[in-house]
Parts: sequence; structure tokens; C-alpha cells
Amino acid sequence: MGFLSPWFLAGLAALSLPLWLHLLRRHRSNPLPFSSLMFFERRTQSSIKHRRLHYLLLYALRTALLALLALAFANPYFESARAPAAGGRKLTLLAVDNSFSMRQGDRLERAKRMALAAAARVAPQNRVQVLAFASQVQMVDAVQAIQPTDAQSSYAELARAVRSVAQSARMPVEVHLFSDMQRTSLPSNFADLRLPEGSTLTVHAVADRRLPNFAVENVNAPRRFVDPRKVRIQATVAGYGTDPATRRVSLLLEGKEQASKTVEVPAGGRATVEFLSLEASHGLSRCEIRTDSGDAFPDDDRYYFSVERSEPRRALVVHDDRDARGALYFRTALEAAADAAFSVDAIPAGAAAGVSPEKYAFVVLSDVGRLNAAFEEALGKYVHSGGSLLVALGPGAAPAKRVPVFDEPIGETRYTAEAPETVSWMNPAHPSMSGAVRWDGIRFYRAVKVNPGKAQVAARLSDETPLLLDKRMGEGRVLVFASTFDNISNDFPLHTAFVPFVQQTAQYLSGMEHDQQHFRVGAYLELRAGGPGAAVEVLEPGGKRALSLEESTRAKNLLLASAGFYDVRRPSGRHELVAVNPDRRESDLDLAPREALDLWRKTGEGQAAAAAEGETERKPVTLWWYVLALGAVVAAAESVIGNRHLSEARDA
Amino acid sequence: MSQRFLDPAVLASISGLDLVAKTVVQGFIAGLHRSPDFGFSQEFAEYRAYTPGDDLRHVDWNVFARTERCYLKRYHGETNTQLMILLDASASMAYGSHAVGKLDYARYLAASLCYLANEQRDLAGLVVFDEQVKNYLAPSARHGQLFRLLHAIENAEAGTRTDFTLPFHHLQQFLRRHGLVVVISDFYEDPGRIIPVLEPLKFRGNDIILFHILDPQEIAPAFRQPVLLVDMESRDSLEVSPDYARGEYREKIDAHIEALGAKAKGAGMDYFLMNTGRPLDEGLREYLSVRQGRM
Repeated sequence: MGFLSPWFLAGLAALSLPLWLHLLRRHRSNPLPFSSLMFFERRTQSSIKHRRLHYLLLYALRTALLALLALAFANPYFESARAPAAGGRKLTLLAVDNSFSMRQGDRLERAKRMALAAAARVAPQNRVQVLAFASQVQMVDAVQAIQPTDAQSSYAELARAVRSVAQSARMPVEVHLFSDMQRTSLPSNFADLRLPEGSTLTVHAVADRRLPNFAVENVNAPRRFVDPRKVRIQATVAGYGTDPATRRVSLLLEGKEQASKTVEVPAGGRATVEFLSLEASHGLSRCEIRTDSGDAFPDDDRYYFSVERSEPRRALVVHDDRDARGALYFRTALEAAADAAFSVDAIPAGAAAGVSPEKYAFVVLSDVGRLNAAFEEALGKYVHSGGSLLVALGPGAAPAKRVPVFDEPIGETRYTAEAPETVSWMNPAHPSMSGAVRWDGIRFYRAVKVNPGKAQVAARLSDETPLLLDKRMGEGRVLVFASTFDNISNDFPLHTAFVPFVQQTAQYLSGMEHDQQHFRVGAYLELRAGGPGAAVEVLEPGGKRALSLEESTRAKNLLLASAGFYDVRRPSGRHELVAVNPDRRESDLDLAPREALDLWRKTGEGQAAAAAEGETERKPVTLWWYVLALGAVVAAAESVIGNRHLSEARDA
Repeated sequence: MSQRFLDPAVLASISGLDLVAKTVVQGFIAGLHRSPDFGFSQEFAEYRAYTPGDDLRHVDWNVFARTERCYLKRYHGETNTQLMILLDASASMAYGSHAVGKLDYARYLAASLCYLANEQRDLAGLVVFDEQVKNYLAPSARHGQLFRLLHAIENAEAGTRTDFTLPFHHLQQFLRRHGLVVVISDFYEDPGRIIPVLEPLKFRGNDIILFHILDPQEIAPAFRQPVLLVDMESRDSLEVSPDYARGEYREKIDAHIEALGAKAKGAGMDYFLMNTGRPLDEGLREYLSVRQGRM
């Protein structure tokens, strides 16, 4: 017997209240005027006895009520003896590994057969639960219902699920693990494998030795390209536990082989092969690197990736009517890229009135003073519907007192030729500055101070003036550069950091930066940044719809559960092919060390042995509910008697 | 016969004692059958043979001319009597366990009697007393007497303890004409002391009615638990158990009522117990029956 919240027993101090009310406080009867006492005689003894009895009953009830309330809050419990684990009921968990590596040979089928055999041996009084696990754990109704997946297996995830199940079931757990026991499935932290108290682990390995295995480990290819002759595709072939070998590596485009090369793969090492052209048609293409490994696990001999051949994307640079220097520097830097993915239209602000921004990948306002109202409104709609805008501010823009579209006030403008400012801080994680080139030595003579508002500051000058601001607006974004690109307000265009900045900013603004080339199975694809909106259509590698109609309008992320190509059509009309490949750790079929498995078994064995010896486990049974119910009964009785007492007093 | 206007609780809601008295009496009268014994005074009542000493002004000379015998013509007006109300305003009369206290009830009764007397051209007077005479209005049938009486009754406030001796001795000095003496009191005194005090009035030819005003709670107290009672006159306190109030007290008060009634009857007085929880018309009926007996 004990209390789960014993500090509530302090409430017993409230018992002094009825003690004072009934015993310590002197009771005074309210005198009742009466016409004459001529016919009355003193009969105090009987009345006092009566009153005392009456009050003692009330006192007892009130004291009991307070005591029961304090007891109920203190949550009393007693420990009931639970049946010994050895002779009592158990929960038998049949955990079957259905990760990518279980596709090798008939590993999964063997695991399922072994699980069925184990299930047949389970004692009738025990409960059986079947788990299928890879990177996530699923409860399944039957062993035969388990299907192979492309995910990586995680024993840590399995151990976490077993702990959770054991906590819910409140009975000893017996785990039977059916897996190929890959070394790569063990977590880096052994504590993550901890099994619940009183549980046992029996390992049923479906692999008894390490199989040599070749796999295409990685592919590096451009997401988009303009000129097929300038495409460079690198593929890495890895051997896991293999001898030195020569392998043939092929590049496939839409299932047809485009080129092939042979590569020497050292023992247990890697080799890289390079393809220098890709004659893909315009638009998105499914590509694949394949190797003829000749090993026992052919599923990892291919690697999916997608490319998009496109015309150069158009960018609009709007400059001041009298000064096109900034636009010139920006355009030159953008077109200097090896694979020029952008063509720049530069127009003066006065000619921008009839221009529609929708047909451009992004728009640059290069120190533009006053914008045509219709064009500014069109720019606002363009940004909110997913477009991007870069605003450079200089002496031409400062008189406007407000940054167009960005909609924040412009503060003071500083010009210091003698002591120019430098960049004191920059966020290297920002896509515009993610390159290794530093901005040291760039001198800023003039900078426009802009209130950041809700924008993210990506770089600051030495006087704390925000240099680069990034704000998301609707579906699009606006970057504000607090100086110009004209080599007058600063000498930025003369530094090596300028071209990477312009190119990375262009890729960031056009959305190319977000286009990850390929994902691993188990990763999540971001579908939308904001709330519910227009539907995103996603077709799985098998051609089925990945999302229901409601999910397609609400889901923010999509779990990429299968290897292959996901066909994604976003609300903006953009079409993407997302290539998904299994985690290559699954290709390493090395077995987990026996010592590690023994240690894992022992994490739950100590308590299990104690249970097996017949020691009774104690299970706390809380009593607060019964105490509270009794308190309610006492409260009702107190109300009845107290009310009767009061009514008698009133009648008297 | 109970009258719907005479419910004490209803009367308590009427402001103004004159209105209360009028309501009571007219409601009471409306419920009576027309009676030859009741009406305005100057109506012919009877002939009576002349006896020496009678006032010659009352001789009916027409009858003498026809019969040569002297007869006196008597009128109802000559049957007028004098009503003297003795209203006990001691502290115990202030008690009341419901809407109408004893003193209120006594006021209504006294006012109704005065109103009725005024309607009949009877002389009416008032003595308000506790252990002293607190107010005295000599009997009169003059115009405005009713309002003086009602005013005096309305101003009667509960005073100190009851003592019949001094006020009644005092009253004997003022009562010169025979009539009706109505004593309205709760009579918290030994009947053996009350009746001897009143007997001299009876000896002097007065008809005496004792209206014993008691609250229902005084007649049958219903205490559910022990209570501390405080005497409203002496301020003594006493803790009383419900058992006693249900048992011995009721025996004693019943014995007191019975003794008072018996002694009053033995002394030729009319005694009437008036429960303040009951209508007033019973008291009025008692008064009328006694008054008619005097005509």
C-alpha cells in the first residue's frame, strides 16, 4: 500500500476545520423570543445530548469527507501480485525484416517460413503479434501478408517498437527476430537496442555468411541541361566484400542503352566512370546507370536519376531608365556560366509597363526608382503565385522610401568613400552564398538601410546594415540586395565572389536550387510550403496515385517508400521526375557480429531470468477512483444531514 | 360561518386600521341574515306599562287617549349600550409566529368592535394597558369618537409585563355606566388572580367578555430541536427540549385555558379563546350575542 502522490496528504491538515467547527468552537444557540416562559421548565440535559449526537455525526461525516478527498488526490495504490512470467501469459512478437536487402534470393520467403514455424510453437495461452520492420515498424495481421520493401532496416527502430508494445501489453515479451542480420542495420549507439524488462530475444538469421555484392553506389548528373554535348555524368560502382573485378557500366535513357564503359573495381573498393554526353530529347527523361555485377543481389545494380533538357530560361532585369550598368554586370555574370541556363532580357523601367512577369523564371529590379503601378501590381501577383524577385537598391531606388513588392520602408542611405563598409557577417547556409568564395575585401561605399521586418537577414555590413534580405511572400520570395550591381556603390562586380553569387541567386530564385536530383527510399519530398491549396498530383513508380484527392490538396510532404521514378505535377504546372533509390547501406550484406547480438539479447534477459525463477512481479493497482466514490457518498450523506439540521434550525 | 374578508393574513396586508375594521365588519354583516334585533336605533321596539318613576316624556299619549292606560313607547335607540375595550399591550402580546402577531390580531379585533359599536350608535371607550394604564379614551358616541379609538388602537405598542390589578382598579373609577367590558389579552397570569380583579366590574352590572388571544405556536409549539427561549417580558431565557414542548407544556397551557374559562364562567363572564391563526368573525359573533342579550 502506498501513495503515488503522497504530497497531497498535506490536505489532511484541513481536518482541523471541522474539528474547530464542531469541538473547539463554542456552540451558541440563537435565542428565540417567546411570549412567556410561564409554562416552561428547564430541560437542558436532553437537549444537549441530542445536539451533541447530532453534531458528532455531522463532524464525523465532514472529517471523513476531507480525509477521503486528500486520500483520493494522494492516489493510493496497493501492489497486486502478478503471475510469474514463466508460468503466466506472454506476448510473442514475430518481427520479420522486409527491408531492401531481404530481396536477395529467397531471404524474405525463408524468414516468413521460419516465422510461421515459430508461431506454431507458441504456447496457446500466449498472445502473438506479427511485426514487419524496415526503417519503420508495422503491425500486420499475418506473416504471409508481409511484402518486401525498398527501405533500409533499423534494429533500433524495432527495439523502440518492442519497448512501446511491452509497455502497452503489461506482460513479458518474447521477441523472435527473422532477418538477414546486416551489420549496417545496427545503430551507432548500442543503447538504442535496449529491450524492455522481462523480454527475451531469439534471433533467426536467414543469412549465414557475407555475400560479395557490387552496386551502383551513386550518380552525379546535372538536373537540367541545355547543351547535350556539355553534360557530364559520373557514376560510382562499389564492391562490398568483393574481389577485384572488371565491370561494365551502362547509361540508359528511357530504358535504352546510350553508352557503356568498363571499369576496374578494386577489392572491396569503388570505381568511378564518367559519361560526357546525353542525347536526351527536350523535357524530362528517366535515366539509369546499370552495371552487370553478376552477383547474387542484382536489385542494387541500377541507379535511377532524371534529367531535364530545356531551352535557356528567361530572366528579366529591369534597370533605371538612365543607368543600365547594374543590369550589364548582372547579365554578364549570369551568362558566364559554363552551361548558360538563363537568357536575360534587360529593359528600362519606363518600358516595363506592358511586360508580363509570368513568362520569366525570375525578375531583377536593378536600382529602379519609380515603378509603373500596373507593373508593380503584376509583380506582386507574380511573387505571390510563386515567382521570385531580386531587388537591388541604390541611389535611384532610395527616394521611393519603400522597397517595391517587398513592402518595407527604406531608411537612410549612407555614402562613405573614405571608409567603405565591408561584409561582417554572412549566412553560409543561404543558397545565394553557399559557395566557398568569401566576400572579404569587398568595399561597399553606399548601402541602403531597409527595415528587415519578417525577412531573414542573410548578410550584414560592418555597420550592421542588412545587406541581403530574404522574405517569403505567398508562394514566392523576394531577395533585397541593399546595394547595386553597377560597380559604383560597391566594387562587388570586380570580385570573384560576384559571379557565383549571381549564378547561385539565379538558381535559387528560379527554383533550380530546390530540385534535388535523387532521393533515398524513406526520404520525404516537400510538396508545399504553405497551407492547403491546389492539388499536387503524384504518381508512384508503379503508376498508381500516391495521394488521395484530399491529401493532394493538404499534404505537405510525401514519403518516398519505393525505388523508381515519382511523377510530380505541382500546382504551378511544373512537372518533375523524382528518382528514388534504395539506401546503399542495404547493399552491404556483411553480417552483424555475434558478440553484438549476444549483448543485445542480454539487454532484457536479466529480468526475464528473475521472472522465470518464479519471483512474483508487483503491479500497482490505484484506488483513487474507489476513494473518490466513497467520498461522494459521504458528501451526499453530509448534505442530507446538514440540510436537515439547517431546516430544523430555521423551523425552530 | 367563516367570512372571506376576515382572514387575519389578508387583514395584515391592509394598511390603515379604519379600513381593516370597516372591511371586517361589513364583510361580517354581509354574511348575516337580516335580524329584527339589529338596526338603527330610533325604530319602535315595544310598549311597556308605566311604572312610577318613568319619564313622562316617553308615555304614548295616543294610546292613553284610546285606552286610558299609560304605556311607554320604547325605541331601539334606547337599547344602546356602552362598550369598553381593555386592550392588553404588554410585551408578550408582541409575539407572533406567522404573518399576524397577537397584538396585531388584538388591534384588528378591537378596531372591528369599535367600528361595529359605532355603527349601532353604542358608546365606545378604550383602555390600553400593560402593568399601567397606557391610554384611556372615555366611552362616547360623539362624532369622531371612532377615529379617536382607531388612532389609539393603532398607536398601542407592546410595553412591559402584564399586571391586571392596577389598571382594573383604575378603570373602576371611570366606569360609571353599565355596559359591556371586553378584555383582550393573552392572560399570562394565574386565573385565580385575574378573575378576582375583574369581578368588581361584573358586580357593578357590566357584562364582561374575555378574549384570550393566543398564537398557534403558544397553543401547540412545534419545535424540532432544542431551542433557547427568551421571555419577552422578563427577558429570562430557558433551553427547552421539543419533547417538553410537545408534552408537558401543552398539558399546562391547556389546563390554563380550561381554568381561565371555567373561572370566568363561574364568575358570570364570557370567555372566548381566540387563536390568531383563525378568522376574526368568531370574536365578533361572540360580542354580538352578548350585546343582544343586553337589549
